[in-house]
Amino acid sequence: MRAAFLAVNGAVIAFLLTPVAIVLFFAVNPEPFIAFPPTGVSFRWFEKFLTSRDFMAAFGLSLVLGAATVAIAGTLGTAAALAIARGGLPGRRTLTAIFLSPIVLPAILTGFALFQLAMVLGLGRTVWILLAGHCVIAVPYVLRTVLAVLAHSDPALEEAARGLGATPAVAFREVTLPLIRPGVIAGALFAFIVSFDQFPVSLFLVSPGNETLPIAMFNYLRFDSDGTIAAASTVSILLAVLLVLGIERTIGLQEYARL
Amino acid sequence: MPTRRTLLAGTAGTLAFPAIVGAQAANTLRITGWGGRWGELSRQELVPAFEREFRCRVEVDTAFPFVPKLLASPRGRPVYDVLHTNSNEQWSVFDRGLVQRRPNLSLIPNAQAIYPYAMSDQVVGIVMFTSAIGIAYRRDRVNPPPVSWGDLWDARFAGQRGSYLIPANSLGQAMFMMAGRVFGSGYRDLDAAFAAMERLRPIRLFDFTGGMENALLAGELSIGVLHDTATYRHQERVPLEFCAPREGVIALEQALSVTEGTQMGELAHAWINYMLSERVQRLMAEELWFSPVRRDMVLAERFRGKLLTTPEQVATLIQMPWQWYNSVKDRVDERVNRIFRG
Repeated sequence: MRAAFLAVNGAVIAFLLTPVAIVLFFAVNPEPFIAFPPTGVSFRWFEKFLTSRDFMAAFGLSLVLGAATVAIAGTLGTAAALAIARGGLPGRRTLTAIFLSPIVLPAILTGFALFQLAMVLGLGRTVWILLAGHCVIAVPYVLRTVLAVLAHSDPALEEAARGLGATPAVAFREVTLPLIRPGVIAGALFAFIVSFDQFPVSLFLVSPGNETLPIAMFNYLRFDSDGTIAAASTVSILLAVLLVLGIERTIGLQEYARL
Repeated sequence: MPTRRTLLAGTAGTLAFPAIVGAQAANTLRITGWGGRWGELSRQELVPAFEREFRCRVEVDTAFPFVPKLLASPRGRPVYDVLHTNSNEQWSVFDRGLVQRRPNLSLIPNAQAIYPYAMSDQVVGIVMFTSAIGIAYRRDRVNPPPVSWGDLWDARFAGQRGSYLIPANSLGQAMFMMAGRVFGSGYRDLDAAFAAMERLRPIRLFDFTGGMENALLAGELSIGVLHDTATYRHQERVPLEFCAPREGVIALEQALSVTEGTQMGELAHAWINYMLSERVQRLMAEELWFSPVRRDMVLAERFRGKLLTTPEQVATLIQMPWQWYNSVKDRVDERVNRIFRG
């Protein structure tokens, strides 16, 4: 029984990690095309990726957008969750559904709609419009995780703080925020990943010369088929791993593993 | 807390944003373009020289898809001034009234020097470069080599041949029409083409030419539909050869059109004229293996006999009836999806 359990788990892990392994194989294969098995080990595609002005600009923009999305979507999503869970607002279910609607709609439609809106308003395609698009997609993830934490926290603690004379700001900072921190961190993590990997929304909203990494990779793939894409993917995977390890070291994953 | 003054300033800034964007766009030419090596050459060589000469800014959008973006932009304020696509998409946007059928030739002096096919009835706008779609094959695996489009159907290539997802790729669509001619009464013989697609299985289908190139380079396939530009680019690295079938090669036109409603008409025409100039035509031919459309081009020795520059070579180019194809595209897509799925 135990052996079967281990076999099933092993198969699931292999299923999840095989694509990552294949990307790593391609990234270190010296051949100028994607081939299996690899004929050797080389870091030439990493060098090409890291010295490419286009890829580095796209990588930098994706990082900046990800960070800005965390800040904006994190704030908006947390505020909305608090208002919905603690604000005693009428139509809470409807409000929740409205806030979550961007992840229910196909993201390509959201991107297309935002593009049309920007065109009709004469705003053009700027990095601000792109950031707005990323935030629209990321807010529901923050909202969802913060709502989950709020559902399990006792509002009496905040009421007690207020009753003992704390202002709303102090009660939020000293009581509410520590309580919802795991949800905010988890939501921020999701927001970053959703922004960094965002393709359908970016497809319509990126402005010429300001492509994000997924768009730059897609454009490259249409015309060139060497290992640079695999190297770019490997760097993205490493970034995600570093992000998770960084959070584990500084805050600890145990806190939001309870979610 | 924000003060009343900061709120007012913020509101004013927000309201003025479209005007600021508009002012920035006043001397900006917005065009579409390819990525990859084309994009690099464009950014390093073509665009800076044009910007210097015309004291303007050129904004090149290399992020697909271009047509939906153009469709979604207001008619009087198109998102692009010049649209660069292949002919199938040019016809698609022309039929929706989004681009001009032909630019004003009096503003394009270089149009005097180009082959007639670059402005034929089968083309919207003006063709600036052409690739020849034919059959690419591995010299080390295919003997005797193919000579006809019909050879793609040879039983010895079952499972070793490749083409494209017809609903998504214009090379696949061109090959589909060619099948109508080879096995039926002409390019518009749908029944013959459908029957030919049935017989083409087993086959590997790709979204982009990049996928086909990779499969041929890696030796996963022996033969496939590809253009000469991609084939010649890789010839020094692998034993890859290009076959111009005896029925003729299919023109993969890189066409430029001026959008309806553009406020940058003069610059748009200047850009098209620039792309037809001798310097740009030579640069793109010798760096990227695109056949120029100018009649007066004499390229370096290594390009002769490969790129289509002489009247005899140009006469082998077949221009497909894309406007007709677009009108039956939904029907074709539905049927070929069933054929290749089943």
